[in-house]
Amino acid sequence: MDVKIANTTQSILNKFPQKDKSNLIQILQAVQEKDSFLSPEAIGRISEHLRVSRSYIFGVATFYSQFKFNPPGRHSIRICLGTACHVQGGDFLLNAIKSELDISTGETTEDGKFDLDRVACLGCCALAPVVKIDNTIHSRMSVIKLKEILDGYE
Amino acid sequence: MEVKTGKNISIKIDRKKFSVPDGITVLEAARLKNIYIPTLCWLENLVPYGGCRLCIVEIKNMRGYPIACTTPVVNKMEVTTNSTGLKTLRREILELILSEHPYTCLVCKDKNDCTEYMHTTRKVSTTTGCNYCANNGDCELQDLVDYLEISDVKYPVTYRGIEPERNNPFYDLDYNLCILCGRCVRICSEERNSEVLAFTQRGDATIVGTAFGESQIEAGCEFCGACIDVCPTGSISEKMGKWVGLPDKSTETTCLFCSVGCTINVNSKGNRIINVGPKTGKRINPPQICVRGKFVPGDIVHHPDRVLNPLIRKGDKWIEASWKEAISFTAGNLKQYVGDKFGMIGSPHDYLEDNYILQKFTRKVMRSNNLDMLSAYPNSKILEQIHKYNNTFPPIELDSIKDTDTILIIGSNGSVSHPIIENRIRKAYRNGTKIIFANPYDNRTSSFSHNALIFKNGEELLLLHTLLSVLLRNKNGEETKNLKLQLQELDFNSACNQLGISASQVNSAVNLISDSKKLLILAGDGILRGSNCIDSFNALYNLQLLQKNPDNCRIMFLLSEGNYYGGTFTGLNPGLLPGFARIDNKKNLKKWSDHLKIKLNNTPGLSRNEMINNIGKDGIESLFVFGDIPGNPDLSGLKFFVQQNMFLTGISKYAHVFFPTTSFLETRGHIINIERKIKKTKQVIKAPGETRTPWKTLSLLAQAMPDEGFKIRNPEDIFKELQSQTDLSFSSNNKLGKTCLPVKLMPFKKGKKHTKKEGLEYNYFHYSGNDLSTLIDDIKKIKKG
Repeated sequence: MDVKIANTTQSILNKFPQKDKSNLIQILQAVQEKDSFLSPEAIGRISEHLRVSRSYIFGVATFYSQFKFNPPGRHSIRICLGTACHVQGGDFLLNAIKSELDISTGETTEDGKFDLDRVACLGCCALAPVVKIDNTIHSRMSVIKLKEILDGYE
Repeated sequence: MEVKTGKNISIKIDRKKFSVPDGITVLEAARLKNIYIPTLCWLENLVPYGGCRLCIVEIKNMRGYPIACTTPVVNKMEVTTNSTGLKTLRREILELILSEHPYTCLVCKDKNDCTEYMHTTRKVSTTTGCNYCANNGDCELQDLVDYLEISDVKYPVTYRGIEPERNNPFYDLDYNLCILCGRCVRICSEERNSEVLAFTQRGDATIVGTAFGESQIEAGCEFCGACIDVCPTGSISEKMGKWVGLPDKSTETTCLFCSVGCTINVNSKGNRIINVGPKTGKRINPPQICVRGKFVPGDIVHHPDRVLNPLIRKGDKWIEASWKEAISFTAGNLKQYVGDKFGMIGSPHDYLEDNYILQKFTRKVMRSNNLDMLSAYPNSKILEQIHKYNNTFPPIELDSIKDTDTILIIGSNGSVSHPIIENRIRKAYRNGTKIIFANPYDNRTSSFSHNALIFKNGEELLLLHTLLSVLLRNKNGEETKNLKLQLQELDFNSACNQLGISASQVNSAVNLISDSKKLLILAGDGILRGSNCIDSFNALYNLQLLQKNPDNCRIMFLLSEGNYYGGTFTGLNPGLLPGFARIDNKKNLKKWSDHLKIKLNNTPGLSRNEMINNIGKDGIESLFVFGDIPGNPDLSGLKFFVQQNMFLTGISKYAHVFFPTTSFLETRGHIINIERKIKKTKQVIKAPGETRTPWKTLSLLAQAMPDEGFKIRNPEDIFKELQSQTDLSFSSNNKLGKTCLPVKLMPFKKGKKHTKKEGLEYNYFHYSGNDLSTLIDDIKKIKKG
């Protein structure tokens, strides 16, 4: 087990000594804040502490889109699928990038370079379709342009 | 759930007046009065879920269409369960459910002719039909489509394209067929307290699954099979009997693997076992069963390696023989070993009838007291003590476990050895019963305990003495004076040190025990198979007597095999005649000498281990074993060795004759279970090939020896004889006194090594000594996991 994850999880769990399973979501949020995702190890620890199964915790966590189950990549790609971007072909971008990086939304590439997710609107609909990589907004994207931009990231 | 007041109220269902108990739901009321309301997600004994919406009804003065499974009845309520409006709505609901379930088979125009002509759209040389669902015919969706007369679904088929999982032991998962009724998820958490399955993801991506999609083994599945039994579709389907079709017979019998003796329904088609579980048409079996009861019977009965003919050894080779040849060969040889040179080892998985004849044959024909069982307890006196205990405090039923307020579990690996008792413990835990778990290592039970005392290996006696000495601190009576004296040398702090448990943990456990009004102690193999078992027994007995009201408390001894108690009761024990009658007692000896018409020897025979260790000169020269002796002992010194078993095993290489035997499903008889109840079993299928039950073999042998008194027609004859000679109502006066038993304090040893696990390493996955993990691949997989 990853020692760092084990330690951060344990220090969070120590704040919830009453072992009440209604604290589950609070614990998950705290763990994600520290580790930036929910690892199998962390879920295992929480399961032992609250005496609920890992499956149960996973079921609760996957219900909420705020919880991530993969470590973030060095760069985050956010494809906008708001109304304007969708009309302008945002889902084409998403599908192209999925097959290019061989991951689906919510996942991270094997080399840890990119993580991919979809967002509902980035607030610049006039520039649709847009893609946000880290903190940069790339406007009027096309599949070819996006691939070129991704090549520029290390 | 509403609190039931026990009062009856009057309601109207479909314009008819009924009186029903207050606090139940509309659905329960309707079922009580035999009025059908369609359901998919509802299951008896589970908390109502309200997921499928098919049980919608109309209730006067209530808005819309409430669902019957979650609406409690109210006085003067008027319910309509069937109307044109309801039917249209239910059809719509079912069509929506079906839009995500491959439904061609449900609405196919040819479905009525399908079974007869088996036509298919594919061009194949055999008439196969086009059924692609293993559960065809045993599907609640099919039933509902028929009931609601749906002939077409207006929604397009949405195939979810989820890859079926076929790498799990025992069952396949195909979530493309899943309708998300949640029965499996709920039975796994509510009934089995296992929580392996959960709804993951959300919306149209929702799927039943495990954490991170790991396998069922990794997720901690105990393979009880409850989810298979409750699935209304073919999403979870058992590998055994898949595609075989519907059973033509369902036989209710008793499982023999552990001492609980669950009632099981064995479904068979022709002479083939299809599966074990609930009856067809009745999907839930509230008592529940476990991995061994559910999956093992079919696999061992139809095992390809099963021996079906008697075998006689010629040099290195086995030669198939007829029963006549094998019997006369064996009888001729056994004649030379009459007396103490002969030993008999029976199986705790055989019936009372078989084991009674085993001991009768050994004592009467072979004139030997060397009698024991395969998985004999290291100290067979413990059985006598347990019997006496049960005469003093009659055993409680498993259903009363929930009525106790505190449970002390000591030296037990219950989730493996007795999963059904473990199930009751978990339920009791959830309902607030205080659980103290004492074991040399953590296991599944410890997560269902309030106080887990993980002590050093082999120190169970010290733990019990420590608990006793703390309990005695507040007792001043005359009756405890002796006990106090015997335990006065025990120093609390050094005892805790040696046990490796903190003083506060011990004290809190003692507080739970002394506060209890209804204590239940479960003693597992860690106690019973330990070298100090008699001393531990005494300590446990004293613990019970120190309670405020000992009559409300009980100790349950978790004997490992199905008929271990019964085997000992029928006299399959070196020192005991049938009915737990000591052989060194003159009165017993005379009674049985008269009955068997011989002069019995009053010296106890050799136990299983003594027999195996005394093979050779002046010891055992001939052995008869029913089953396999675990651990592959060296039996090369035997001059004549007979084995009767289902399979050729490690010890078969020493055997001179091998008789093929029946399994517990191929014959009938009785067992005595952990509640000391006599449970009858039924024959499910015909014995295959030339297999014979143990009593039949021995009666043939006895007649060939020759000896009178073995002309037995059927097992009922044997049971009658046993009944007439022993007290099967257990009204014996052979009781323990209700005063504390002496305890023996062990001296402390500094730097003592705690390595041995004693009884806790015991292999519960065996049938008559045959290791199930070598016979069945899927058992091997789960044992590794």
